[in-house]
Amino acid sequence: MSGDKKNINENNETELMELGKFYFLNNKYDEAIAEFKKVIVMNPNNAEAYYNIGLIKETNNDFDGAKKMYIKALNIDESYKSARERLNKLIGLEDE
Amino acid sequence: MQKRQFAVIGLGTFGSNVAKELAKRNIQVLAIDNDTEIVNRISSFVTQALVADATDEKAMKDAGIADCDTVIVSIGENIETSILATLIVKELGVKNVIVKCVSLWHSKIAVKIGADKVVYPEFEMAKKLAENLVSPNILEQINLSKDYNLIELVAPKVFWGKTIKSSGIRNNYEVNIIAVRRHVPVIDDNGHTDIKEEVNMVPGPDDEIMQNDVLVIVGSEKALSKIKEV
Repeated sequence: MSGDKKNINENNETELMELGKFYFLNNKYDEAIAEFKKVIVMNPNNAEAYYNIGLIKETNNDFDGAKKMYIKALNIDESYKSARERLNKLIGLEDE
Repeated sequence: MQKRQFAVIGLGTFGSNVAKELAKRNIQVLAIDNDTEIVNRISSFVTQALVADATDEKAMKDAGIADCDTVIVSIGENIETSILATLIVKELGVKNVIVKCVSLWHSKIAVKIGADKVVYPEFEMAKKLAENLVSPNILEQINLSKDYNLIELVAPKVFWGKTIKSSGIRNNYEVNIIAVRRHVPVIDDNGHTDIKEEVNMVPGPDDEIMQNDVLVIVGSEKALSKIKEV
C-alpha cells in the first residue's frame, strides 16, 4: 500500500479518486473518506466523490449521512443512476 | 399440482399492490372492485379483473370467488361493506380469508364472522416507524409470537472483533443470532464502485462480529429489550 501511495500525485483528481476507492475496497473507510474529501476540495463538482462517501456511510449504517451524500451527488449530476438507485432504496421508493 | 388462486376484493392502494405483488410471483389473481376505472387500470397486471359489487352474493359467486384458495378483503374505507363482503366470501366456502382492517372494532367483527386473519397495515407501520425513530439501531422488528420477536440490530460496539461464542450473546442475553448481514464494497470492470449485501444465514460460534454488522436476533421481548440497551 505504501508503495502505491508514493506514486499518487496529490494534485491529480483521478489518482486521488482511485486511491479513495482502493481504501474503500480494503475496508479502510476513514482513509477513503479523507481521499474523497480531497477530491471535493479540488473539484466541488465531482459527483462520484460524494457518491462514494455515501456508499461508505451506508456501509457504516449511517443512512441519514448516506442520503445527504447521494443527494449532493444528484444535485451535481441529476442523471447519476447509481446514486439515484441507492437514494431511492434508502428512502423506501420502489423502482418503477 | 394445480396453481393456487387468490382474489383481492377492493383495489385501493393496499389491495392493488397486494394483487400486483401476487401476480409478480406468478400466482393467479382475480381482482375485484366496483369502480370500472380502477379495474381497467389493474387489468393488465393480473389474471382477471372484474367490476362487481362485493356485497352482492350472486355477483361474487358468478365471479368464481368460491374457487379461490385465499381471498383478501381490502375494503378499508367502508367497514360495513368490508364486513358484508367478508361474510359472503366465508359463506361461499373460501378457506382462507384475510381482511384489511382500519380499527380494532373492525377487526373484532371480522374475526367474529369468520375472517382467518386480520391485518392493520397502518397500525403496524406506525408501530414500526415509532420503534425505529426511538431506537435507530433497530433496523427491523417482527413479532414471531405473543412473546417472541425477531430484530435486526446494528452490532453494538462491545461485540466488535469478538466471535459469536466469545461475545457471550447467547448465555448473557438469552438470545440467538440467526443471521448476520453486512455491506461489502464492490467494484466493476469500469471502476464503478457499489456496495452489496452479504448475508451469513448460518452463523457459527467462531464467526467474528465486525463493526457495521447487522445482527438478526431472535429472543423473548424481555431478552431483546436487554440487548437493545447495550
